[in-house]
Amino acid sequence: MEFRIATDELKKALYRAQGIVERKTTMPILANVLVNATKSGVTVTAFDLDIGIVSEHPAEVSKPGAVTLSAKYVFDIVQNLPDAQVTLKKLANNYVDISSGSAHFKIVGMAAEEYPKLPKEESAPLVQISGNTLLEMIKKTQFAISSDETRYILNGVYFEPQAGGKVRMVATDGHRLSLIERELTGDFKLKGGVIIPRKGLMELKRLLDEAPDAECHLGFAENSALFKKPGLTMVMRLIDGQFPEYQRVIPKEGEKVVMVPKMSFLESLKRIALLSADKSYAVRIGLEENKLLITANNPDLGEARDVLEVAYRGGDITIGFNARYLTDVLSVMETDEVSFELGDEHSPGVIHAPGDRSFTAVVMPMRV
Amino acid sequence: MRKIVHIDMDAFYASVEQRDEPSLRGRPVVVAWRGQRSVVCAASYEARTFGVRSAMPAMRAERLCPHAVFLPPDFTRYRAVSRQVHEILARHTSLVEPLSLDEAYLDVTEPKSGLPSATEVARAIRRSIREELRLTASAGVAPNKFLAKIASDWRKPDGLFVIRPHQVMDFLAPLPVGRIPGVGKVMEGKLAAMGISTVGELRAVAAVELEQRFGSQGRRLHELAHGIDESPVQPERPVQSISAEDTFERDQPLEALGPTIRRLAERVWAAAAREPERIGRTVVLKLKTAEFKLLTRSHTPPTPPASAQELVSIALSLCGRVELPERTLYRLVGVGLGNFRDTAPARPQLKLFD
Ligand SMILES: [Mg+2]
Repeated sequence: MEFRIATDELKKALYRAQGIVERKTTMPILANVLVNATKSGVTVTAFDLDIGIVSEHPAEVSKPGAVTLSAKYVFDIVQNLPDAQVTLKKLANNYVDISSGSAHFKIVGMAAEEYPKLPKEESAPLVQISGNTLLEMIKKTQFAISSDETRYILNGVYFEPQAGGKVRMVATDGHRLSLIERELTGDFKLKGGVIIPRKGLMELKRLLDEAPDAECHLGFAENSALFKKPGLTMVMRLIDGQFPEYQRVIPKEGEKVVMVPKMSFLESLKRIALLSADKSYAVRIGLEENKLLITANNPDLGEARDVLEVAYRGGDITIGFNARYLTDVLSVMETDEVSFELGDEHSPGVIHAPGDRSFTAVVMPMRV
Repeated sequence: MRKIVHIDMDAFYASVEQRDEPSLRGRPVVVAWRGQRSVVCAASYEARTFGVRSAMPAMRAERLCPHAVFLPPDFTRYRAVSRQVHEILARHTSLVEPLSLDEAYLDVTEPKSGLPSATEVARAIRRSIREELRLTASAGVAPNKFLAKIASDWRKPDGLFVIRPHQVMDFLAPLPVGRIPGVGKVMEGKLAAMGISTVGELRAVAAVELEQRFGSQGRRLHELAHGIDESPVQPERPVQSISAEDTFERDQPLEALGPTIRRLAERVWAAAAREPERIGRTVVLKLKTAEFKLLTRSHTPPTPPASAQELVSIALSLCGRVELPERTLYRLVGVGLGNFRDTAPARPQLKLFD
């Protein structure tokens, strides 16, 4: 294997690999990337047995071949090369010579044959999607993904195609839930929903962020998802199991509905939560005629109180919430006003844009 | 070869209730909140003979065993007893990893009690729990955590079971694959479709094939089927600091670091939220220049940062305390939260579902 490539291209490939490769693993080769030079260019593959990306780059290949190299160290090296071009050449025993300008590195690699094979792409029907829409859907659900590893079904986002070319994405950690429905036209040929794991979703977000307007394709085979954009393919294993019946926990319409100015609500919650007694950011929200009160108290510090003017004529109620669960939701919303719906002190609160439930967040209260 | 003990208290909450209230002894006791959506926290062995199990809906338990005594859980008391159990465990090793109030792993490769074998340690622990606390525990002894946990269940309740290194392969072979941690109904079904129902049959499948089909989980299955589990016993140490860092694709000037600092601070915040009983007071910004010079700046606000946004703004303001020349380029930036203290336990958060 021998090729010459623009330093920036190699840097980009290795940068993409950083989030995937495993540093703590019983399989040392998983800390490496597979570099494969063919007549048409060079591919750099990163794989952790669950998520794999293959990044394609133009290069002058003088001798096809493949080798694996440490993703981390070679990235450090490539970032500090003196020249805009770099040459990689495989030597005996999987050593690799990396040369750029006056600098030479001789790096220990491992045999390409030992690198695990990515899941076969099989016959995933690929659907062209809007990168911007998928990015929005990820941003509006990811915060509700559970970080409790023992609840692995909830360690991802449920992706559920709907009738009429829409897709719903739902995340929940058992205390709160976030749902978004958007148009992603095309037939994914899925029987029901699938669960996309958090790590894969975060990598997908990173790749979409690189160029959200690029032509993107998404598809699903039996147990894996496939994402493609020019010069890049990503495969990931899906979480196997039954996502909870989320519809059951979304209240139809709350008894008490109040329109709240979003920014004031967000800022007020952040302010008042400063005085919350513990890290659950417990705040009390009170509704009275045309008033929304936010209070918190902390035995060591004192108490805090804020009032927002709102249009409200339902009955009085005081209910506790984790302020963070509310601010997580408000921070991703674009409308000036939000509709906040409550039942009683023990029933979930619901937030959505006025007259639009295509993004809906459900938050369970706290006992305060 | 490591020596691991898994200790599991028998019907813990229910046993504590029976111990403290003699009239409950010998009777079916179910610890659960009343209510439509509540689940059984614990069931005494008398209740289990009627099919009552923990985590089953309380309503169902009531139908199965209507004459059982239903008690609301009293976690303050269970926690106190749990501390006493841990005090007994700590006599033998400082390597104790609590799994819950009633379960723990111990690494007794070199017990500080000086007992000659892990089996002796397990016996001593069971004896102390019985004599000092008037409760029973089951114990499993094995070369790793995965096997020790299976072993403690083998002679439950009030039992002790030892799996010696040379017995591992024979012991595992006939077990149904469902006994392997992480193998649920779905995985069981998939393995059954491959003609695999026992651990011995699983062992016969090549590692590469399992990896191809099941990814990292397949790799783990292969190891467990061979009795291999390297996961260490991790003593619970209160978190002291949490940090996140990122290396740039291209070195960046200070004024371009904002978005990355924001993202890292949010990540740190999310990780800190997983430690509800600890609170970090000091915000740290770490920078590495293109020339590999490392610098850190920190700030401890009068009240600990209370939101991701606050952490972000403190971290950003720390950039103002970097006195390097403006043209300096940075290759890495990190955000940390340190100087953690205990805080009041979180208030009860209601659940959408269990
Ligand atoms: Mg137990």
